[in-house]
Parts: sequence; C-alpha cells; structure tokens
Amino acid sequence: MRKRKDIITSTGVTVHQKPLKLRIWNNRGYYLMFLPVFIFVIIMNYWPMLGVRYAFYDYKPVGEPSWVGLAHFTKMFSTTAFWVAFRNTLELSIMRLLISTFASVVVSVFLNEMGNLMAKKVLQTIIYLPHFMSWAVVASIFSLLLSPSSTGMVNGWLKDLGILARDQAGIYFLADTKLWRPIFYIINTWKETGWGTIIFLATLSGINPELYEAADIDGASRMQKIRYVTLPALNNTIITVLILNLAKVMNMFEPIFVLYNNAVYSVSDVIATYIYRQTFAIALPNYGYSTATGLFRSLVGGALVLICNQISKKTRGRGII
Amino acid sequence: MKSKKIKTFDVVNYIVFILIGLMVLVPIWKVLVDSFNAVGVYQFRLWPDKFTLDGYKTILHTKLLYKPFINSVITTLAGTLFGLMLSTLAGYTLAQDSLPGRNFFAYVLLFTMIFSGGMIPEYLVMKKLHLVNSMWILVFKHGVNVYNFVLMKNFFEGIPGSLYEAAKIDGCTPMGIFFRIVLPLSKAALASIGLMFAVTVWNDYANVKIYITDPDQVNFQYKLRNMIMDGDTPPTGYNVSQTTLFNSGIIMAILPFMLLYPFLQKYFVKGVNVGAVKE
Repeated sequence: MRKRKDIITSTGVTVHQKPLKLRIWNNRGYYLMFLPVFIFVIIMNYWPMLGVRYAFYDYKPVGEPSWVGLAHFTKMFSTTAFWVAFRNTLELSIMRLLISTFASVVVSVFLNEMGNLMAKKVLQTIIYLPHFMSWAVVASIFSLLLSPSSTGMVNGWLKDLGILARDQAGIYFLADTKLWRPIFYIINTWKETGWGTIIFLATLSGINPELYEAADIDGASRMQKIRYVTLPALNNTIITVLILNLAKVMNMFEPIFVLYNNAVYSVSDVIATYIYRQTFAIALPNYGYSTATGLFRSLVGGALVLICNQISKKTRGRGII
Repeated sequence: MKSKKIKTFDVVNYIVFILIGLMVLVPIWKVLVDSFNAVGVYQFRLWPDKFTLDGYKTILHTKLLYKPFINSVITTLAGTLFGLMLSTLAGYTLAQDSLPGRNFFAYVLLFTMIFSGGMIPEYLVMKKLHLVNSMWILVFKHGVNVYNFVLMKNFFEGIPGSLYEAAKIDGCTPMGIFFRIVLPLSKAALASIGLMFAVTVWNDYANVKIYITDPDQVNFQYKLRNMIMDGDTPPTGYNVSQTTLFNSGIIMAILPFMLLYPFLQKYFVKGVNVGAVKE
C-alpha cells in the first residue's frame, strides 16, 4: 500500500491526504472552470504548432503541399535578405533596449531627486502618456512631424534655422538609410522611456533612507549620493529589465512594421517583417518557405527565453517564465 | 556654500525635466492644435490659426472612417471581457495549490511562451476557423494571453488561503468562492489587467494588417495609418485639408485612453509592478 502524504493546512492542522481519484473528483469544479481556458489555448496556441510541418513542404496557394525536406532551410541560409533581416533584428532590438533602459534609469534617478511631490507626479503623468499610444499612431504622428512636405514641422524648423535652404526640398527622414535608425531609436525613446521608469522608481522608493542619512553624515554631495547609494541599488533591477527584454528580442515586429518602407529595407527589415513580406507581399508566395523562416524565428526566440530564464535563475534566484 | 550647491542642482534638475516634459508634449500638442486648424502649417502653434471642426465631422460622417472606429470600440469591449473571463478562470485554477494536475496545466500555458507556431501556421488555422477577414479575430488573438493569465494568478495568490478554506468548510463550491470571494477582492487586479487587454486590442495594427483586408472589418488604428502613411484617404465629400483630417484621426485614435488615463493611472502602473517586480 502506498504511503499517504501528510499535508499541513494554513491553519496548522495536519491531515492525511485523500487518494488521487477522490481528490480529482472533489476538485471537479476547478477542472470545469479551467476547461474554457484549456480549449482556447489549445486552439489558439497549440493547433498552429502542428502547421510547423509545412516548413518541410512546398506549399503554394494553389496545388497540394509536397515534401521537400530541408530545401527551404538551405535556401533561407543562402539568402542575403534573410541574413540582413536576422542581423537587423539583433542590432535594432538590442540597441533600442540599451538606449531606452539607459534613458529610463537616468530619468528615474533624477526624478527621484525631485523634492516637489506635485511636480514629480505631474511629470510622471506626462512621460507615461506616449506608452498608451499604439505604434500605428506614433508612426503617424512622427511621419507628419518629419514629413518632407510644407507642413512637416522638423523640416520647417531646419529651414527657419538656415540649415536647409528655403527652396530646397525637405529631408525625407523615414526613407533615408542613414537617418532611419537614429530616428527609430529616438521614436522608441520618446514612446517608452517614461513607462520604463516605473519599475526603477519602484525600486528607488524601497531604498532604506538611513543609507542617505549615513551619506549625509559623511558629507556626501547630491551627485555622490546618486553615485554611491542610488545607482548601486538599481543594479539588480537593471539586470532584470535587460534579461526580461533580451528574451523578447526575436519578437520585434510592429514598431518596425509601421515605420519602415521599401527605401530602407537594408537597415530596417527584421525577421518578422521579412516573413510577412515573403507571405503577403509577393506575387507567388511559398507558405513552406515562410513557415521555415517562422520556425527558425520561434526556435531562436524560444532558446533566448530559456537562456534568459537560466541567467535570471542564477543572478536573481528566480526565473522569468 | 553647501546650500547654494543644492540649489543649483535643483534648478538644473527642474529645467531638464521641463525640457523632457516639453519633448513629450510638443508632438502631442502639435497634433491636437493641427486637428482643429483649417490651415496646414509646419510651425508649432499653441492655438489654431483658423478654428474648424471639419476634420472630426469628416470622420464622423464618412463610413469608411467611422465604421473602423465602431469596430475598434466593439472589439475592445469584447476582447477585454473575454480576456478577463479567461484570465480570471486560469488564474483562479492555477492559484489552487492542492489541485491535482495544477503543474501540468501551468506547463501547458508556459510552453506557449517559449514556442509558437509562427505567422503562417497561425494564419492557416485562423482561416480554417473562418476568422480571417473578421474583426472577431482580434478578440480571440488578444483574449488568449498567457502572460496576463500568469499575472492574474499572481494577484490571486495574494488572497490569504485561509479565506478559501473557511469558505470551503462553509460548503461553498469552487464557483461560489470564485464569484463571492475572489472576484470582489480583486477589483484592482481586474481593473489593471482589464486595462492591459483593452489597450492591446484597441492599439492593434499588425494583426489587422495580416488577417483583414475587408474595409468593413478593419479597426481604426489600421485605417488611420493606412490613410496617413499609405496615402489611402477615402473620398469624404468634405472640403477639409488633409493635414486637418489626419491630425483629427490621430486624436480620435488616442482619445479614449487619454480621457480615462488621468483617472486610471494607478491601475495602469500597478499592472507593471506586479508583472515585473513581484513575479
């Protein structure tokens, strides 16, 4: 006979655990409640996983799928556009992660120094705002501001300042391979810096005030206190934010998708947008090829999540998933 | 000497933050003013040169523009309700420590955060489900959000276990505990996660672009970007300048959350902190 496990309830009473069958029956209400969740996750998340097999088939809008083995992967790995997209994915998402995390840390540290609580609150309210705007809206706003037409604010200002001649055509910022990336980072910083401060401000509010008092007694200046008390306190949070976001590197899609155009594919195309165009924007799509690229993206993305999860367990004692 | 130094720091700090505030607000204010301005100018104005409501009137009277707005409202409401229903059910079940199979369920959910079928297999499944070219796809796509399920579970785990046990001893069923104890105690969590669902559905552009081509089914974000960046302005029958119309569209697209935001800011912020700090 199997030994029954003893369990201790929250009230401290020790009870013998009932047999599994009985426990399942007793919990039938919970299973019933989980059922809809289970069904929808199976349909929306697991069913598509079966479609991954098309990565090994030729699958065109007309005709039956036919087995091609690893042909799509060989083709993919010898396609320049794919490698450009892969490199761009890493470069763009890591750069934007570093830039906006840095900006958020700086803003939170100095926001934390602000003595006037009212002013602090107003400023927080303002800088959180852009986060709630969709990427489509943000892209629309900036495409109007950066427009080369007569109503584009930035080009108008450049003319007012004499940097551009009055009769010169405006700069088409979003279609210039040299300017697209800096503009992309600026827009990202504009949209997400404020929201990124929330997590750092939460950490800062937890710093023991005695640390600052001790620094005061030692005669530390404001900058020294920031350097030796505030910033070290943020180390763990910064690592957490970086790990959490590093796991999502392969996900980058919408920010690029709404801002790029065919003039700047070389500097802006990422894996997800590459897949999109291979499927929906060419005359004779081969779903097999796009599925293969998608499978590559899922696998690299999944590996990143697992790696970041391990790093997270090592550095801060708990995983991210 | 020392107090002077502190003053310089504060002054610089305030000036820097006024500049940061302006950098955020200038683009938004420019759009707002231009949406009421009958003449398109590049200059930044605090007030419209020639006040007009034509931009907004055009949107409210042109079917190809107001239909997407209505679609956005419908899908956002439905998506939020559906998402909240699934996430509360999932969170509640997974928060039961002693439930046999709980870990299995958790793994079923967590695995989807590691691996996904990808764009094409998902598209093919949606096609089989007749969700392609239907705005309801937004409800299902965003309602089934495993990350939010886990957030909800974290919130529910904050409810003391003795409350459940007391209710069980009083003969309350799981469903009864859920409706009488868990949900009433979780209003803040419901608000936070509900808002997260609402923002995601309302703001979606990519899924519309991928799955929907029928102009009757697209949402407002899609129509807006399509109009401004792809030059697809529908014939309106109004004599309104393009700049005015575009800017009015942007304001319409951000209006719901800008109106709610000052009142609900704390719920928005709470969602982030539970997601990142506690979990």
